[in-house]
This record gives sequence, C-alpha cells and structure tokens, in this order.
Amino acid sequence: MTDFKKDFPIFEKEIYGKRLIYLDNAATSQKPQYVIDTISDFYRSDNSNIHRGVHYLSEVSSERYEKAREKVSDFISARNPGEVTFTAGTTDSINQVARSLEPILKGNEVLITGVEHHSNIVPWQLAGAKLRAIPIDADCNLLTDSIEITDRTKLIAISHVSNVLGSVNPIKEVTEVAKGHDIPVLVDAAQSIQHLPIDVKDIGCDFLAFSGHKMYAATGIGVLYTSERFSDIMPARGGGGMVDKVTLERTTYLNPPLRYEAGTPHIAGAISIGAAIDYMQKIGIDKIRKHEHQVYSYARQKLLETDGVMVYGNTKEMCGAISFNLDNIHHYDTGLILDKMGIAVRTGHHCAQPLMRTLGTEGTVRASFALYNTKEDADALIEGIEKVRMMYA
Amino acid sequence: MRDAVQDEIIKQFDGLEWLDKYGLLISYAKELEPMDEEFKTDENSISGCQSRVWIRTYKEDGRLIINLDSEAMITKGIISLLLKVVNNRPPQEIVDLDLYFIEEIGLKSNLSPARADGLASIIRRIREVAEREAN
Repeated sequence: MTDFKKDFPIFEKEIYGKRLIYLDNAATSQKPQYVIDTISDFYRSDNSNIHRGVHYLSEVSSERYEKAREKVSDFISARNPGEVTFTAGTTDSINQVARSLEPILKGNEVLITGVEHHSNIVPWQLAGAKLRAIPIDADCNLLTDSIEITDRTKLIAISHVSNVLGSVNPIKEVTEVAKGHDIPVLVDAAQSIQHLPIDVKDIGCDFLAFSGHKMYAATGIGVLYTSERFSDIMPARGGGGMVDKVTLERTTYLNPPLRYEAGTPHIAGAISIGAAIDYMQKIGIDKIRKHEHQVYSYARQKLLETDGVMVYGNTKEMCGAISFNLDNIHHYDTGLILDKMGIAVRTGHHCAQPLMRTLGTEGTVRASFALYNTKEDADALIEGIEKVRMMYA
Repeated sequence: MRDAVQDEIIKQFDGLEWLDKYGLLISYAKELEPMDEEFKTDENSISGCQSRVWIRTYKEDGRLIINLDSEAMITKGIISLLLKVVNNRPPQEIVDLDLYFIEEIGLKSNLSPARADGLASIIRRIREVAEREAN
C-alpha cells in the first residue's frame, strides 16, 4: 500500500513522543509539501493584488488566481469557470446563498436532512426560513421517498456526506425530486469533495459548497458553485472588485463570478486549492477513492468487531467519518486518553446537535480518514480503544 | 503561598506518564461523591465544558460547601482534586487561593480556551460564588 504520509511534512512530527495518528480529517486535513510550497512561492515571487493593477505582478497573480478557478471548475465538472466563486469556506458559501435568496426564503421553508451540520441549519434560520428535515431511518439512510414538497418549499439544502456518520446521502435522488417541482438544490460538499468524484452537472444541483482546508488546501478559502441558471442572483456582499458602475444613486454589477467576490479575495488560498487539486489528480482520484475505501471499510469493520463499541449509522455508501462510543465511557474521556497516545480524534456533538438528539447521545467520538491514513492507523485506533477500556475496567 | 493539600497532590502526580496521570484521575473520580440527580439541572450546569458539569453550593457554619459532578471520569477526577483544595473553607479563603497545582501537574491545557474553557469556567464559577458569599 502506498504511504502518502511522506508527502505531508507534519507526519515527521511526534506527539507526546509517539507517531502521530491523525484521524481528525473531517475537521481539517493536513497539507502536502506541494501545497505548502505553492503558497510560500506565491508570496515569495508573485504576490500582488488581482484584477486591479496594470503592472506585471498583478497580471501574474490574476492569472494564477483565475487558473485556480479553472482547475476547480474542471474538478467539479462545472459548465464554465464563471460558475465558480471563491468564498471563505463552506459556511461562508452557504451564508452567501442564504443572504442572496433571503427575499424568497423569508417566511417560507427550506428542506434539509436530519444529519445536517449547523452550517446548513443556522444560515437558513437567519434568513427567516423555517426548516423541515427529510427523515432518516434507524441506520441513518435518507428516506428520499418521504420527501414532501409544499407550496412554501423554496429550497432543498442537503449535505452530500455527513460530517458525523460518514453516510453518503443519495443526492441525485433528491435533485430528481426537486426538478419535478422546479426547486433549487444546494449541496454541502464539505465532507465529500476530498473523497468522492463530484460532477455538478450529473448531480443536477444549483449550488454546491465546499472548503479548501478539508481537501489539503489552506484554511479561509472555499468554493461556491452557482449554476448558470442562478447567475443573476443578487450578491450577498458589496464592495470593490465586483461592480461595473457606481453612482450614489445606483450601482451595476460585474457578471459572475467577480460579482460575488467583493473586496480582495484570499488569493494565496485560491491558488492553494488549485495546488491541492493538482496533487490529488497526480495521484489519481480513483486511486485515492479505492485506497480510502479500503482503509475506511477496514477501520469500520474492526470497530464493529470490538467489544463494547457502539458504531453509529449504517448506510449503503459511507466514507470519511466514523462515529462511535464506548459502553459506559464518556466520549470526552475516550478522546483525552487517545490524544495522549498520539491519536487525534474529535469528540462532542460535531456541530450537529439535532442529529445527536436523534442518535440519543450527547456526543460521539469521531475518527475521520484522509488519503494518507492506512490500515496501521486503524489498528492503532483499535489498540487505543482497548487501552481506554482497560483503564476503565 | 504554598498550600499543604496542593503540595500533596503535586507530589502524587510528579514524574508520572500521561496515561498514569489519567489513571490516577480516574481513581480520584471514583472517590467523588455523586450529586443527586435532582440537582443536575440546567441552572446548576456550567457551560463551556466538553462534558457536562454541575455545581451546587451552600454555606454551613461560615464555610462554603461545594458539590461538583460531571459525566466524564477525567473531568470528575479533576474536580475531585479541585474540591480537595477549595471545599469546606471560609469563602474569603477560597477567593484568596492560588490554584497553582493545576499548572504544576500538567492540567493547564485543560484550562485553555482550546478545551472549550472547561476547567477555567468551573474555577470562575466557584470564585464568583465565594466572592458573593464573602461579602
């Protein structure tokens, strides 16, 4: 099995004198040397503001920024780079859509699922919309047959992959239903962009949001895909760089995507997403997926076979995260002890309190995987769990 | 000013590996008298902790009696130690206490905002009550 850890300098570090077993990838991924180098090279040799200057460096940085946009556009199979807006992250992307659609959403309804992250709940509430969840079964499969659309339903906003369970939602089934009612669909791809091939045309969604930092790029940068169909929605923010003509009476805007990028964007961040895509494509998306699937299935199976471990969710397709608890041991205790063995997991409600209530727990331990994780990492986790159980015996 | 109870705790943790420290905290957790369920209310809970923590206080013969409880054993172990130091003292003494043992046994990271401010919130709450009772 290929060990991709060698591409990620952080794995040279020891934690409490032990090898780092990083299983908190659903929170953020580590960065490959290639991405780190791309960011520092940009600041060292090409740094300048974009789209504004007549000078050489400004042209170079504008070109690199737009090249990154093209890479993202190709990566998600958008129709053209104009459908790709750089944002500050998934949360920012969703908030921007909520703000732009507020006049339609206010007093109406947004359909979500029972497994959503707070970032796909709170922005809609702030826009004055009521939320209704598409139900899930006991294994956390999304019950797409139970989608109920009313006159007040103005948007469906669903996660592709749950940040808690790793369950993959059948988003194409949802977009099919939405099409019949001409309702736009937003997909939160924060937990899928790094694991599954994404084709926005095939999915048939109108908006798709994800973050750079969970796909091996910098923090503070993300993407909002907006289908051509919605290219005329009002920008959520105003400022420099997004306008055509400004008078004190009236302003006209540039065409997308610049219309949605007020102010100086996170230029190095955008370029880092381009670099992260290069890195993943060099390995091969199919190869990454195959490797991750092997490690994920192995870890999940091992956890299911371990005495006293309760694993949450069991959907047809899964990737990324696995949530579990140890019988009679608080998730926080489990996380603290694993930490001291060099194993990084996350504990708590994972910003998904409604789902925690459905699962009947205050929180879980979450192990989440990335392309550099191996079966040895999964074995270390199981060993760690045995140790926790021994300490509580 | 050095405090005999804190010095004794520091001595016990001195030189221990992390997992042994946690083991010791778990054994202290088992010593902690559990709080009656009726007192585990939202009003008595301390926010900012990764595991739920409840506090109950009352005065007896001029001393402040503090009950603390938590769902997590390591948190329980820490509050069990904390109570050894602060419990059953005149409120002014609690206000004046320098809780140096936390840093010396290496639990300071549990005090930082990265740990959702947990232990710091508990200490702040105890101080608030003690200050109120001292006046």
